[in-house]
Formats: sequence, C-alpha cells, structure tokens
Amino acid sequence: MLLENILGGEMYLASEVKSVIKVASTTKVYRLSYRGLPPSPGQFFMVWIPRAGEIPLSAANYRDGELVLAITKRGKITSYIYDRVQAGDRVYLRGPYGRGFNPPCENERSLLVGGGSGLAPLLFLTEKIRDRGGRCDALLGFESKGKAFFLEEFEALCDKLFITTEDGSIGFKGIIPDALKQILQEQNYDVIYLCGPEPMMARIINSVQRIGLRLEASLERYMRCGVGVCGTCILDPLGLRVCRDGPVFPLEVLLKIEGLGRWWRSFDSRKIPI
Amino acid sequence: MLQIELAGLKLRNPLILASGILGNSASLALRIEEAGAGAYTTKTITKDARPGYRNPSFVKLETGYLNAVGLANPGIDYFSEELDLMKKLLKIPVILSVGGKDLEEYEYVVKVGVEHGVDAFELNLSCPHVEKMGAELGEDLEAAINIIRRVKAVAHGRPIFLKLSAHYNYLKLAEEAVRAGISGFTAINTLRGLAIDIYARTPILSNIYGGYSGPGIKPIALKVVYDLYERFRNVPIIGVGGVDSWVSALEMILAGASAVGIGSAIATKDLEVFREIIEGLRRYLETEGFRSIVELVGLAHEEVSNPY
Ligand SMILES: Cc1cc2nc3c(=O)[nH]c(=O)nc-3n(C[C@H](O)[C@H](O)[C@H](O)COP(=O)(O)OP(=O)(O)OC[C@H]3O[C@@H](n4cnc5c(N)ncnc54)[C@H](O)[C@@H]3O)c2cc1C
Ligand SMILES: Cc1cc2nc3c(=O)[nH]c(=O)nc-3n(C[C@H](O)[C@H](O)[C@H](O)COP(=O)(O)O)c2cc1C
Repeated sequence: MLLENILGGEMYLASEVKSVIKVASTTKVYRLSYRGLPPSPGQFFMVWIPRAGEIPLSAANYRDGELVLAITKRGKITSYIYDRVQAGDRVYLRGPYGRGFNPPCENERSLLVGGGSGLAPLLFLTEKIRDRGGRCDALLGFESKGKAFFLEEFEALCDKLFITTEDGSIGFKGIIPDALKQILQEQNYDVIYLCGPEPMMARIINSVQRIGLRLEASLERYMRCGVGVCGTCILDPLGLRVCRDGPVFPLEVLLKIEGLGRWWRSFDSRKIPI
Repeated sequence: MLQIELAGLKLRNPLILASGILGNSASLALRIEEAGAGAYTTKTITKDARPGYRNPSFVKLETGYLNAVGLANPGIDYFSEELDLMKKLLKIPVILSVGGKDLEEYEYVVKVGVEHGVDAFELNLSCPHVEKMGAELGEDLEAAINIIRRVKAVAHGRPIFLKLSAHYNYLKLAEEAVRAGISGFTAINTLRGLAIDIYARTPILSNIYGGYSGPGIKPIALKVVYDLYERFRNVPIIGVGGVDSWVSALEMILAGASAVGIGSAIATKDLEVFREIIEGLRRYLETEGFRSIVELVGLAHEEVSNPY
C-alpha cells in the first residue's frame, strides 16, 4: 500500500501494476492503480521506470482509479517494460500532459483510424464517445494477425469495425490509407480521429484535405520535459510543442507541418528520417 | 516606457528568453517574439552535437524544477541554418549562448555565430551538470579569462555577456572579466541539486544530480545581481532565476538588472508569462510615477539616487 504523497503529486506518482496481459506478439496491456488527476483521451504520461528510463505513453483507458497503458516493444525502454515489468511492480507517472482529442458534437458520426501503438488513445476516445451516447466506427491496421490487438474492445464499442493487415492474415489485405479511401466512398462521416505511424497519417491527411472532413491526429516526437520548456518535441515552422500544444492537432495545423511523415528531430535537435 | 539599451542592443522591453528554454529552433524563436519577449537567447550551442543525458532529465519539485538536459544541441555547424532563419524572421535581437570544453571550441562557435549574424553572445561558464563544460570552467579563473579574451578578439565588436554561477566566487571572476573587456553579465545559471523518490528509493534524474531553477532560487539570484551591481555600476546585468511574475521581474531590476531572463516559469504559465509581466511593469510604472523602466535599475541600492 502506498501512502499519500505529501508533496501533492508534484514529483512522480508511484502506481502499482495490477495486471499485465500479452495481447499481441509485441504488445502488452498494463492495468495500474492510479490516484492522480484523470486523463482525457489523447493525453499522455511521462512514465518512469527507475534505472531503465522515462518515456511518453498515452492513456489507453481510465476509469475509477484504474489507468490502462498499452505498450508496444520498440527500443530499449519499451523492451525493458515488456520483458521485465510485472503485476505487483511499481511504475512512476507524471502527467497527464498535453491537449487531447476534442470529442465529436452530438449527432456527429466519427471514424477512428489507427495502427500499432496508436490504438491506445483511440480506444480511450471510443470509450468516451460511447459514454456520452455517441456512435463511431473504427478502421484499424496492422502488419499481420499476430500484431493485432484491441479488436474485441473496438468491436464491442463501434457500430462498424474495419480491419486491414499488410499480409491479409485478417481483414482486408493492404494498408490503411487505401482502405480508408474505399470506406469514404461508401460511408459518411463528420470527423476522423487519427493515430499511428506518421507516414501513414501524412498520406491520410493529404487525401482528407481534398474532401473537407474535420480531422484530428495525435503525433509522436522525442520528448524530455513534457511541459513545454525544453524544445525537444518542436514542430516547424509554427514552433508548436507536441507535449504542450499537442499531441493532438487539427487538420489545419497538420497541413502546415514541415516534413510530416518524413522527418522529426532527435534528442540533439537534428532532423532525422522517421 | 519599457524600451532599454543593453550593451548597445536595443530591446523593446527588458524580458529575455533564458538559455536552454525553447532555444533550439527558429520556429520557436519566432513564437517567443510573438509572445512578447524583448530578446531571444538560444540553447547553449557547442562545437559538436551532443545528445544530452537520458530521461528522466527534467522533474518538477515543490518550489522549482530540476533538470539535467546535458547541453543537448545539434552543434554549431548544423545550428547555423537555424541562425540564418532567425536572422530572416526575427526583429528582436538573438543572443547565441556558447559552450565548450576549451578555448578552441568557444572560439569556433563564436566565429560561426559572427558569420551567421547573431547580435550578441552569452558565454555559458556556469552550467552545473556537465563536466568540464560550464561551471568548472568558470571556477578556473585563468581558463575563463583566456576564453573571454579570445572570444572578444573574434566577436567583431558584438556584445559578450558572461553567464555566471552562484557556486563559485563570481565577484572575482566578474572583476577579471570586466578587465578582459566583457560587455555584461547574465546571472544566474541553475544551482546543483538532487531529487530522490521515496518509493523508488533512488535519485530521479538519470544523471543523478542536475540544475535547480524556478522560484526556489530567486533569493540567491537576487543576491548575486545585487552584489554585481554594487560592485560594477555601469556593466549591464541580465537577471535570471525564478522570475515568474511582474513582481519578481521588478525585484531583479531594483537589485540592479537592466534586463530580466525568463526560463522555467514557462512550465507553469506558458508563453503568456511574457505579456503578463509586460502589462504588470507598465501598470507599475504608471501608478508609481516613473516614465521609463530604466529609472528603476538598481534603485534598491541605498546610495542610488534617482538620476531623473
Ligand atoms: C505522446 C506520445 C504518446 C505515446 N503513446 C504510446 C503508447 O500508448 N504506447 C506505446 O507503445 N508507445 C507510445 N508512444 C511511443 C513511445 O514513447 C516510444 O515508442 C518510446 O519512447 C520508445 O522508447 P524506447 O526506449 O523503447 O526506444 P529507443 O531505443 O529510444 O528508440 C527506438 C525508436 O523509437 C523511436 N523513439 C524513441 N523515443 C521516442 C519518443 N520519445 N517519441 C517518439 N519516438 C521515439 C525512434 O524512432 C527510435 O529509433 C508514445 C509517444 C508519444 C510522444
Ligand atoms: C530545461 C532547462 C535547460 C537549460 N539549459 C541551459 C543552457 O543550455 N544554457 C544555459 O546557460 N542555461 C540553461 N538553463 C538555465 C536557465 O537559462 C536559467 O539560468 C535558470 O533556469 C534560472 O532561471 P529560471 O528560474 O527562470 O528558470 C536551463 C534551464 C532549464 C530549466
């Protein structure tokens, strides 16, 4: 049992991992007991694993003191968490940070589009839309069946669920932008919510521009402070900080970002290919 | 009312973005100008690129912030592109913060800075968390003075500010620096500090210790500014450390600062902090019956009589 932090949560909030479930070949879902400020969909935490490091992670759900994270193995720290962090361990959180998604207005029909670790904030958003009595569809894309996760969760919450895999092992064979093009010919939506690999998002953003839909996308960048002072996660040429002005941005802003889907800045601020 | 002249630089107001805060791109510089700042200081730039320390590298404490970013920067050759863009886009002066491990590195960075049109230099001889780059150089009087002399020789007459630390005998270093021809001082950099998490039972920062900034260091910064003004009446000072309101900005100015640096206050108040302070200063000047902010510089010193 953790005592209340007398410093009022200024530093990290120690949170106990209640369960860990492997949901795909490189993704695990972590349920934490969490007593801090409730996050909204699209907001993230800086998650510190002592002696391993600290990374930004989106809230994949939050309800009654339970925070859900979905972590996909990518490099050093995500692998450490994936391989070593178990039920009963503690992780350390600061946040929630950033501006999340603007939920759809009443009667607006939304389509959530995502792939890979981008599914975390989208699942949380779907929950919120349903809580308010709204309706939505989802288009999820993966490399293969083995990498797919959260299918049942989205299935239960969405009217229609579209799935694509690059190898065709489940759903349509192909990539998300192509599937989206087809879906938009048959269905009408007011707003698209997007989160996933940036090259995929960049393609969609360019094509959606032509049909005049409302769109919001959540971006990833290297981050340090999380509160908008260090400049690591900067977007050119508007000088927007992903950690504080984002991570969710509307279409009008996304269209102006230099190098979207092509490069971002590394920890030393140099531009490197995504 | 708020315009000042700082070692020959003309500023529309005395607020300067402090080094290391949003200092790594021209797009940010433009946004800082739009937010109202009077001048922009870049992140400390070294000769070669530095990735900095691993996360956690920044954490909020009860009365401030602790960071060990580790002078992460792309190196001056790469950064010169950003400098070109800044020169094209900005109306406010750009101060290039310069770091390095020896004389040659400082000289190299300043030379490139001159070629790319920066308005002034700030020598970081005060970073508390990178070995042999910063405070440790400032502690070595001879090394520090050699750097100042060499930089002065290649700066083409552009103002050079020396950024000081409260960790060493800053008055002694300042004394020698004035003799070597320094144009002004920036005081202070962050103070060495440590944060421990009681449940993890380990230091938080990957670098173990870091630099402490924010409201907690304000009294220390004020004392350094006060000491410098007391000793060198006509060497301009940029007062930095814990300024997060027009009240604390005025405290700095009354202690002797001609300009005021804004750093980690952005974490709490975001970029609106510039407008908030500017408005506050204006109202104060009006209600207290001053015509210019310049009249207030150093007024807290007993024997400074109002020259106007
Ligand atoms: C706002 C936000 C929310 C995120 N939410 C989730 C989530 O819910 N689930 C999830 O699995 N992942 C999420 N990520 C991505 C996650 O933070 C990165 O995968 C992680 O930081 C990589 O660290 P690593 O040590 O495993 O990889 P490293 O060994 O550091 O690097 C491996 C590769 O990952 C990329 N990378 C490294 N650090 C970052 C970073 N900070 N931001 C972006 N890319 C990076 C680089 O391309 C690098 O080549 C999110 C990122 C952001 C910015
Ligand atoms: C995240 C961060 C990075 C910093 N990086 C630098 C730097 O590169 N060079 C430098 O001279 N000072 C650096 N500083 C110190 C600030 O310029 C300033 O001197 C100090 O933070 C005190 O001011 P403040 O309390 O207003 O933040 C940094 C401070 C912070 C918080």
